[in-house]
Amino acid sequence: MLYYIYDGSFDGLLTCIYEAYYRKEIPEKIVSKEDYQGNLLSREIHIDTNDEKAKRVYDSIKNKISKQSLENVFYTYLAEIPDLEIWIYKYLKLGWKIGRSIDLNLTDDRVLKIHKTRLSVDRERHRMLGLIRFRLLDENIYYAPFEPQFNIVGLIAPHFAERLSDQNWIIHDVKRGIGAVYNKEEWIIRDIDLKKDMEYGDEEIRYQKLWKEYFKSIAIKNRINPRLQKSNMPMKYWRYLVEKN
Amino acid sequence: METLDKLKILADAAKYDVSCSSSGSTRKNKKGGVGNAHTSGICHSWSDDGRCISLLKILFTNYCIYDCAYCVNRATNDLPRAAFTPDEVVKLTINFYRRNYIEGLFLSSAIYKSPNYTMELLLQTVKKLREEWKFNGYIHLKAIPGADQTLIERAGEYVDRMSVNIELPSTNGLRLLAPQKKRESIIKPMGLITSKIFQNIENKRKFKFSPSFVPAGQSTQLIVGATRDNDMNILTLSEALYKQFKLKRVYYSAYIPIASHPNLPSISGPPLLREHRIYQADWLLRFYGFKAKELLDIENPNFDEDLDPKCCWAVRNIHLFPVEVNRVDYQMLLRVPGIGMKSAKRIITARRSSNLNYEDLKKIGVVLKRAKYFITCKGKFYGIKDMREDTVKRSLIMGNIKRKNINDGEQLTIFSLYPSLILPMEENMTKITGEL
Ligand code: SF4
Repeated sequence: MLYYIYDGSFDGLLTCIYEAYYRKEIPEKIVSKEDYQGNLLSREIHIDTNDEKAKRVYDSIKNKISKQSLENVFYTYLAEIPDLEIWIYKYLKLGWKIGRSIDLNLTDDRVLKIHKTRLSVDRERHRMLGLIRFRLLDENIYYAPFEPQFNIVGLIAPHFAERLSDQNWIIHDVKRGIGAVYNKEEWIIRDIDLKKDMEYGDEEIRYQKLWKEYFKSIAIKNRINPRLQKSNMPMKYWRYLVEKN
Repeated sequence: METLDKLKILADAAKYDVSCSSSGSTRKNKKGGVGNAHTSGICHSWSDDGRCISLLKILFTNYCIYDCAYCVNRATNDLPRAAFTPDEVVKLTINFYRRNYIEGLFLSSAIYKSPNYTMELLLQTVKKLREEWKFNGYIHLKAIPGADQTLIERAGEYVDRMSVNIELPSTNGLRLLAPQKKRESIIKPMGLITSKIFQNIENKRKFKFSPSFVPAGQSTQLIVGATRDNDMNILTLSEALYKQFKLKRVYYSAYIPIASHPNLPSISGPPLLREHRIYQADWLLRFYGFKAKELLDIENPNFDEDLDPKCCWAVRNIHLFPVEVNRVDYQMLLRVPGIGMKSAKRIITARRSSNLNYEDLKKIGVVLKRAKYFITCKGKFYGIKDMREDTVKRSLIMGNIKRKNINDGEQLTIFSLYPSLILPMEENMTKITGEL
């Protein structure tokens, strides 16, 4: 069994795909360093991330398959689900064989797998556009902690850069220790390690109270339906919702 | 009175308006401004009744000079009253928006002093938001029936959507339950908004920088179950509203018994299943190419409780089926129970690369439990031998047994409670349509 081990970055994954092609090897699995547990029967090859090789694969997906496909692959990568790397690899191989029509093969398992994952990531991204809650800190920064299932902070930042363009804000993926930081001009993704507990001023507390009150008042008592509420807004997201705390 | 107390009263009073859609507008943010609209709308939370919260939905005031029998805010009802000021509404909206609690504002009002007086206040509020606070988020404003045309027109230049609630589906109902409201005072502003919208589209074509007028269109709401109107009356009215007034949406609200009045029905709870069926049928009108008269007629003026409107139509027209999935055209595919818009499109796409079999349909997301009676795949039929109206109907209902017990509002996981958003991902469509 041949294992490719990479550093977990998107470029790293693309480098693996490059190597597999040029070495004429078919890896059994592509695993990130972090997820790799070692295996007596496997032959491991460590693949060093190489920007140039990654770029060539990137361009080749875009030009020989389609932009759509490239996006599918990137979103699937962001899902950070173990074993999906190998599906990405299989999907791309099919793509290079049949070209841009790949995404029409809605009954092919490889295509199905990638599409399904992409849809889940898309769904969470869209959900988060609504469920992010900013808190105004004393330093006049709007701060939003959240813990998405997938690594989507970079996918939602552009939306807020457009919408809340005249505010300083931070969207903090607490689980992954990273965040998008915006200074009214541009946003970047960086590691974030917050030590102190957040202090909120009177104004922030006042609006949180108003919002909670609104949330309570808007429900129609004859139609209370916790199951529907939970299916639309899964409980795993409640922790950071002002109205649910 | 504190803003908090007002909010309690005026959010509570607004909650029976079901529309919460924030879709259909593409308003952009400008430099130094706050907010923009999202074409497909965004839900920001879901309240305890499971409905989406997208907009800050409030009444400006619940003081009312009218006395409509079905309404909590009617003048003779004894309840706490409050009125916002334009500034209070503006501050709430902006501060909620900056924290990403909401997509925008949905402002409605009872009729305070006079229709014009009320409309003035609403106009002031939206003008402030747009001009002083540079707010570019979504605004849905209720036009007040009976207010001057010019006021309604001016407000329309600031908002994304405007609506006039019809509430009671017939003139007769209006006479019995809201004698102070005239049919004309509702229909006239609707007509006005429609014609302004079209004039505006026309102008936009001619002049590049013509200001927009209600870019997300017009909607209305009908109450289901407060009058004797049957489903056919309601659906035919909706069809006409979509056609003649080019409404974007008609919303339906199951009548919630909040008052007793000799002219109101005495029911214990809101007719939720009925509301659900009407929503399903509304969906069929707007996206599936059905006509109201295909779904209901004088012999069957109300929807079946056991089966959704599309299944009902299909069993009544069983002679048209089965159809071959690999050949039939898109329009007809849409009419097959168990095939929604999403799966119909995917079938069209997928069959370009290969002929589909039964397994493939499963992968694509067709609900075979229902579809199997109406289709063949590569000539093979998977339904029942005896393809008659009553036998197919019985089989379908048997397959539905689990879903049937949703009659009591409790476990309703259906789209009538779901947001009126058109979600971007087709995936959600099935949820919304309740898989027709
Ligand atoms: S005018 Fe509107 S708010 Fe006033 S009683 Fe009638 S429906 Fe209610």
